[in-house]
Amino acid sequence: MAPFLLQASLPPLTQPAIVGIALVYFVVVAAIATWATRRTKNASDFFVAGAGVGLFTLAIAKMAATLSGFAFIGGPGLVYTIGIGAVFIILPGAITNAMGAWVLAKKMRLLGEVRGLMTVPDAIGARYRSRAAQGLSAVAILIAVVGYMATNLLALGLVIDAIFATGLAPGIWIGTAIILAYSVAGGILAGIYTDVFQGTVMACASLVVFLFALKSGGGMGQISHTIMAADAKYLGPWGEVGPIAAISFFFVFGVGSLGQPHVVHKFYMLRDPRQLKWYPLLMTIALAVTQLLYVGVGVAMKGLVSAGTIAPLGKADQATPQFLLHFTPVFVAGLVFSGVAAAIMATVNSFISVGAAALTHDLPKAFGRPVKNELLVGRLTTVALAVVAATVAQASGTLVAFLGIFGWGLFGSTIVPALAIGLNWENATRAGAIASIATGLGITLAGETLSYFKVYSLPTGVSISGLSLIASLLVFFGVSWLTRHRAASEIDPDIQLVMEV
Amino acid sequence: MKRLVLALVMLSCLTVGAGYAGAFLPGGAPAWAPWCMAIGTNGALMSLMALGATRRGRLAPALRWTFIGMFVLCAGAFAFALGMPAAEGAGGALLLGLPVRTAVLLYAVGVVPIVILPFAYALTFETSTLSEDDLTQVRAAHQALQRAVVEGRAQGGEA
Repeated sequence: MAPFLLQASLPPLTQPAIVGIALVYFVVVAAIATWATRRTKNASDFFVAGAGVGLFTLAIAKMAATLSGFAFIGGPGLVYTIGIGAVFIILPGAITNAMGAWVLAKKMRLLGEVRGLMTVPDAIGARYRSRAAQGLSAVAILIAVVGYMATNLLALGLVIDAIFATGLAPGIWIGTAIILAYSVAGGILAGIYTDVFQGTVMACASLVVFLFALKSGGGMGQISHTIMAADAKYLGPWGEVGPIAAISFFFVFGVGSLGQPHVVHKFYMLRDPRQLKWYPLLMTIALAVTQLLYVGVGVAMKGLVSAGTIAPLGKADQATPQFLLHFTPVFVAGLVFSGVAAAIMATVNSFISVGAAALTHDLPKAFGRPVKNELLVGRLTTVALAVVAATVAQASGTLVAFLGIFGWGLFGSTIVPALAIGLNWENATRAGAIASIATGLGITLAGETLSYFKVYSLPTGVSISGLSLIASLLVFFGVSWLTRHRAASEIDPDIQLVMEV
Repeated sequence: MKRLVLALVMLSCLTVGAGYAGAFLPGGAPAWAPWCMAIGTNGALMSLMALGATRRGRLAPALRWTFIGMFVLCAGAFAFALGMPAAEGAGGALLLGLPVRTAVLLYAVGVVPIVILPFAYALTFETSTLSEDDLTQVRAAHQALQRAVVEGRAQGGEA
């Protein structure tokens, strides 16, 4: 999920109870990681957990990877600012898990079985028998991963600084070191099992805070009446942003969900493909519960400000910290701040795994020079990627903001057509896949650059992410149709088998 | 069936594209632009699901009606929010704690699918997604393909 925790300056949280809970949290993460690290024996364990993960573990780990610190800090701040319009970012979650199951889950899992695939570019390369498509998608993933990681590490630095008073730069590097400790040693295997603990913390924290949020304003009806008297648009169906922007969120975060490699590649990890039967239900409930805080705190804070109970917030990102410090017991605040750290760490670990796989596995394969010792090189690449991302996070807030903006859109526009539609449409072609990936990459990079430097501004409500996603989809259909005579010859028999079953 | 579903995916994408294009027109987005985006986005989500659920050119009737019903519900909720006049001011009516237009939209799109789609997936899993026989068949076919490749290599080596 897009990280917006960039301008936050969290209030000091150095209360003994919060520090204590946070310490317990980090100790548990370390213990789980140590246990999981002992089970990491080869590259398959490192990148896809040896394809030995159960359904519950998979669902919670995917939920934890999907939600970054944005769900706890930036998101409620956005709801506080633009109202219901911000809810359209999480609204597709009611549909996307079932959609992901029908469109991708079975096919990805069976591809892993018949080909031993480990990454999303692997699947694209195998589908079109194309090293170019695999390499190009790996480049897109790498660009987005570094930006995402940098923004999340900056957010983690802010949280650690607020709790332990370390200062921002040491906070960034301490957080990076903790994540690296288990990512390097145990890879995604350690990440998956820490994700289960982290996801559970996130879900519990969200549910408890949602109940406190409702209580703080006298129930949802009372909160609504208070806000409607002060600001009629806020609780309207599109909030403060209008229908184009709100529906654009719904489109980008709905259709774009099929192209998030840190979430999609986890389908390879499921032990038994027939366990997928209950995957949408488990994942949807886990995601819905964990997103309650996102809506509850933002709306409750708006209600409290509208009622004059508290002063308007100086910065929107203060919504969650201020709510927790003033309206919940200190134990709950400690749980939530640990939940924020959990969300960020789980997301960064997944990004590190996906980025390291792109560098170690996909790009060398695309250039016809596969790496011999992928486990060792994967570990070295993991360190290098994290150091680069932490350096970017520390060096320039502006650069971080720029890099962090387009991650979701870049993933969506470069991966959804080639992977999600390509695995379900025999007439999709290699040329169509390459053209769509190039279109997504080109429009996103050029558009975000022009927009960021204010060379060009889009009409109200229109986002580069939405434009690049729709453009790459249309290019994919158009080019595949023009080159349809080649389609049949571009699918290997085993891939055809997986697509048909 | 698959061609029809693919046509719906493409049509939905074109409709969303038209909505975005409308936003670039001089004078701001016309009134039809958000309608295009709302119908196109819901069409894209539901037709993509149908595309994924189509097997060997066939979409199970139960799923067909599920996706059609979900499209009508979700697109209808967006249409309700777009078409009804705003009444969210002081003292406005509430439905389940939210203003009426907002409540219809959020509960129809954000809650109802949670209690429909995962169960539709689970209840049709055996017949429409992956049965034990399907899995056995994939594994057997995969092994046969591997054997053919190995034999092909061996024959190539002998030659």
